[in-house]
Amino acid sequence: MSDVIEESLEDYIKTQVLEPWKGPKNVPEQEYFTSGHRTCQGCESAQIMKLMAKAAGPRTVILGSTGCMYVANTTYYSTPWVVPWMHTQLGSAGSAAVGTAAGLKVQMRKGKMAKEPINVIVFCGDGGGADMGLSAISAALQHTHYNLLILMYDNESYANTDIQVSGSSPWGANSTFSPPGKARRIMNRRWKKNMAGMMAAGHPDCKYVATVCTSAPMEAMNSVRKALSIGGPTFIHSLDPCPKGWDYDPMFSHEIGELAIETGIWPLYEIEEGKITMYGKSRRILRGQLKRKPVADYLMRQGRFAHFIDEDIEYFQGKIDEMWEKWLIPGVIPIAAPA
Amino acid sequence: MSTGSVEVVYRGIFQKTLAKNICRGVVFAAKKEGKIGTAFGRYSDSPERNGIPAKQFAVVSDTHDELQEHLARYEPDNNDVTIACDDTLCKGIESWAWYGLQPINKLLKKGGTLLVTSFQSPNKLINFIHRKGEPYNLALIRAQASFSGLWVYKDDHTDARLLGALAKVAPHIVGIDAICEVIEEQWKDDLKVISARKSFDATKSQPVSAEQGNEEVPFSFEKPGWKTMEEGLVIRGISAEKQVVAGRDGGYVPTRNATFKKYSTRTMRPVINFDTCTKCTLCWLNCPDTCFDITPDGLYDANMDACCGCGVCEAVCPVADCVTMVNEEAFDDNASQWEMWVKDKKGYETWMTEKISDQPARTHGFHHVGQYAEEATNESA
Repeated sequence: MSDVIEESLEDYIKTQVLEPWKGPKNVPEQEYFTSGHRTCQGCESAQIMKLMAKAAGPRTVILGSTGCMYVANTTYYSTPWVVPWMHTQLGSAGSAAVGTAAGLKVQMRKGKMAKEPINVIVFCGDGGGADMGLSAISAALQHTHYNLLILMYDNESYANTDIQVSGSSPWGANSTFSPPGKARRIMNRRWKKNMAGMMAAGHPDCKYVATVCTSAPMEAMNSVRKALSIGGPTFIHSLDPCPKGWDYDPMFSHEIGELAIETGIWPLYEIEEGKITMYGKSRRILRGQLKRKPVADYLMRQGRFAHFIDEDIEYFQGKIDEMWEKWLIPGVIPIAAPA
Repeated sequence: MSTGSVEVVYRGIFQKTLAKNICRGVVFAAKKEGKIGTAFGRYSDSPERNGIPAKQFAVVSDTHDELQEHLARYEPDNNDVTIACDDTLCKGIESWAWYGLQPINKLLKKGGTLLVTSFQSPNKLINFIHRKGEPYNLALIRAQASFSGLWVYKDDHTDARLLGALAKVAPHIVGIDAICEVIEEQWKDDLKVISARKSFDATKSQPVSAEQGNEEVPFSFEKPGWKTMEEGLVIRGISAEKQVVAGRDGGYVPTRNATFKKYSTRTMRPVINFDTCTKCTLCWLNCPDTCFDITPDGLYDANMDACCGCGVCEAVCPVADCVTMVNEEAFDDNASQWEMWVKDKKGYETWMTEKISDQPARTHGFHHVGQYAEEATNESA
């Protein structure tokens, strides 16, 4: 056994080298999350599952905590998963990822498995990630000797159980727990939790944190590929428009995501080894090449904001303006830029 | 001494409140008549998903004991009336994996009545509905399927009209007077009472014979028993290999989940103009249901077993009128459009032009309280 122990740690922390795909024509045809899931029409969380699995490729183990992407994809002995998948409890996305990565490493060390880099991805919803699983995710991001990716698919509510408010729900949105009433119009008075920024700022050893949106599918897939290649624990926060809870026609799923980016509500960025880069339309907004659309264009398309009056839209717009004008990095570091 | 049950089949989320209103109405009306009733949704449909067929039931008995006896069954399977809140449900419903495709009249008892919301002719609907093997009746409410969102109900009186029609086709469950009394009490709206009475007067049912209907055998699969299920709740994954399909060499047809196909969720389907397609990949890349098969000539063929009709492909397609969403009622089967196009391009153009010329307004999307009332007032003004 001594020779096994003497083997360097590097052998076990090798990652797959996943080059970015240049353009949709270079995306392989193979699917690892296929048709036949019991999600809503126009479900963008299912779309990020598809993109994530496609980007990761066949040598991948995926884990998922309770939420839409657990219930809709694996109930009643029926599944669209092609790659191995396992359910884990609501708050334990981070611990399941560490356990799986560690388990694979041990199996390989003991010679029970061929030595090869296997992608370990765990996904969680905003409820399972930003609320219940926060501590486990934080712990996982400090386990630098394991390669794992935590992808939080954020539909801004507990969508599986019919839309209860989560720490990720936007200010003022209608939900089962925050229905607008006559006496009080705005029931959810918390501003959305800034998960990606928090993960990046608080975990200096985490080499890669990014925000993605299904409406920028190539960037989302390349982000997953980069996260898996860079090694160590990594985190991706994906914004997924949800026709059921956000209340819009399913055909607008893609467009609503685009509007979230174009209004500046959802800045796309990646933080690679501490270096922050805005990408896609968000970069063009930052550079002044693209004018941010008014937030009303995004808000008024969705039934969850239908109770907003001008005052509310102005408040929302003000918060977004502040983020872009006063923060050092929009959506990440809320420190006023030096004048 | 009797028990009667009503099954309400509806589109998840979009018609959740509608189904609830119908079942509640039945139970309250039964109480008015001195009977006892209960209403419940089917556990396995929860959580509901947009468009995926779901069910609620209302059971009415003369006595408490009878009701208990009836409810001891998992799901009422011998219903006096089945209400389909959307006529595209007549093509069959696949609400969860263990059924495969269930004919809409499957749980209807012999001689019972299938009540459908539709503008179609009865004969057209009978062509969609699977052959029952037993005679039953068909009654129609002339209306477009009433779709709401999760937060706001489109109060277009479909609930009152269906309750009125129910009193006509199954007076032994609830009578029209009790129904009207309940509508008055629950909604405090005289107009709704008038709607229910009008619907009661107008509703006629026609007999459907045992041999009438769609001859297609609905898809099914082998279900695992308790002893054949694997330890640790193991579900076998889908093959990573593509499907081998005759005439599709050089293309790519992914292997799909055989126990849940999702097409009965569809109320609209994409019709594709292959002549103007630029092969930009956007429909394929952005389809959350992976429904696009890549054809040998590099086109994208929406697989009608997998498509749930969300319409994202139409929205992302950069070419004008290349993808058009068309009402599901216009189609009799799930045949491949690309194969049709390859066989006869001229014929396909004619077929496609005819299909896309009929584009009924999409009805989903009632965002704020009172929106429907406002629109109705504006229209009549």
